[in-house]
Amino acid sequence: MTALTDFSISIQRRFGRQRLRKFILGLIPFALLIGLWELNTAFVWFDPVEIPPIADVWEAIFWLQSDCPGFMAAVDGHNSCQLSNNILSSIGRVILATVVGVPLGIGFGILAGMNRTISAYLEPIGVFMNSVSGIAWIPLAVVWFGVGWETTLFIMLNTIFWLLFFNTMMGVRAVPKVLVQGVQTLGGSHLDAIRQVYLPGAMPSIITGGRMAMGFGWRALIAAEMIGGDSGLGFMIFVSASEFKTEEVFLGVILISIIFLATDRWILVPLEKWTIERWGLVWKPT
Amino acid sequence: MTGEAKLIVQGLSHHYPDEYTGESVHALDNIDLKIYENEFVAIVGPSGCGKTTFLNIIAGLLPYREGRAMVDGVDIKGPGPDRGVVFQEHAILPWRTVSRNIGHGLELRRTPKAETQRRVQEYVDLVGLSGFEDRYPHELSGGMKQRVAVARTLCADPVIMLMDEPFAAVDAQTRITLQDELNRVVMATEKTILFITHSVEEAAFLGDRCIVFSRRPGRIKSEIKIDIPRAERQWKDMVNNSKFTDARDEILGLVRSEVTSNDDG
Repeated sequence: MTALTDFSISIQRRFGRQRLRKFILGLIPFALLIGLWELNTAFVWFDPVEIPPIADVWEAIFWLQSDCPGFMAAVDGHNSCQLSNNILSSIGRVILATVVGVPLGIGFGILAGMNRTISAYLEPIGVFMNSVSGIAWIPLAVVWFGVGWETTLFIMLNTIFWLLFFNTMMGVRAVPKVLVQGVQTLGGSHLDAIRQVYLPGAMPSIITGGRMAMGFGWRALIAAEMIGGDSGLGFMIFVSASEFKTEEVFLGVILISIIFLATDRWILVPLEKWTIERWGLVWKPT
Repeated sequence: MTGEAKLIVQGLSHHYPDEYTGESVHALDNIDLKIYENEFVAIVGPSGCGKTTFLNIIAGLLPYREGRAMVDGVDIKGPGPDRGVVFQEHAILPWRTVSRNIGHGLELRRTPKAETQRRVQEYVDLVGLSGFEDRYPHELSGGMKQRVAVARTLCADPVIMLMDEPFAAVDAQTRITLQDELNRVVMATEKTILFITHSVEEAAFLGDRCIVFSRRPGRIKSEIKIDIPRAERQWKDMVNNSKFTDARDEILGLVRSEVTSNDDG
């Protein structure tokens, strides 16, 4: 009993009472879902082919990696490391699309936000592109690039770019003019204004755009891998389902959520804390 | 006034198209003004009289075509560090700490780090913000933010400091403190200042000279000299200073006649 109390106190010290409460409340729906899942295994309301037992999903990890010679081989992308290869290939494409798409989107967004002529050119096509759902491009992309990484990368880039472009543009427009004038009257150039005013000033909007880009981008990527890809978690889910290996499908879906959650918690949230929260640009409930 | 004219304005007029109707609005009419070194000139006038337009033209934030405006003998073309501006509010950068805001002008000029640090500390102390160097603006009160704004402008060492109703957005108590402090800072730094306000008291309290603007189109209606040494300008003494109260009442009469006159100007 005392051990449990000590444990609870130490957690409270680390997280604080409110955060612990929030954390536990957030866990409850998951716990319920897992409970129902376990009950299904016990009472077999649904056939294991439809909803496989948790243990099978767990085992699928080892089954898919069974031919893999070891950790280093997995990192190197050895042919027989099925699961890790699919994970790495999805993550790799997300990173590549982010590295290319985010700076491009922010760059054009800043230009369009600062300059009415440029935004007159780009805004209508931006609205058009954003209104077409990212996955609507998949069939065309398959025609253009064939089945493979080019198609999936194109789909994700296309999704990321326009979201960041739009949000950055809106963010730049919302930057108070007096901040720019302040820097200009201190002797700052246009480039100084971009780096020191427009970019940080648009940060709340850029981070929102980044959140959306990650969400929509991941979804588009998974869909693209299913239809126009030859690797990745989306591809794995699709193939496994067609072979009725439902436990692999469940595993794939869970992995996608975990990876997505991890990017949000470990990249986007810290970025938010380090920038707009520190600068007092974010509304916080007190 | 002794010394040389730092700001010279000759025959400056300004028209701009109305945002909605497109009609030409006559904002300023034939302004002539000289401001000398270490002089504090306050412009006061009814709202919409063009005083902020005038300051924006001097700051280089608004292009002008009719007349001339020069600082240190050079025609004003766009904003520059020779004319520092303290805006009404919210003009310091939220993503820079107090000391990085104050040192911003020096940083833009690529001043060596040690030199910048020394100067920043000097101005932090001058405006009474010691201990707040590493705070972000959202952690400061309205009055402290305006102290940062003043220090930021002074630290960049402009030829003339332009102030656009800098204390209009703070509460009355803070305003009085900031006005007292500004006097002290002006004495210490010997800056040349153009100060825009709609508050007659503020103009009379701070200005060596008060310029009263007419209603639109803004013209110089009159000019009142207030001959009180800066060291004597403290609010606690001012209520009994007849020079101050006389000047205040005179300016108040001039501004009031502008507000109440109903002829189309």
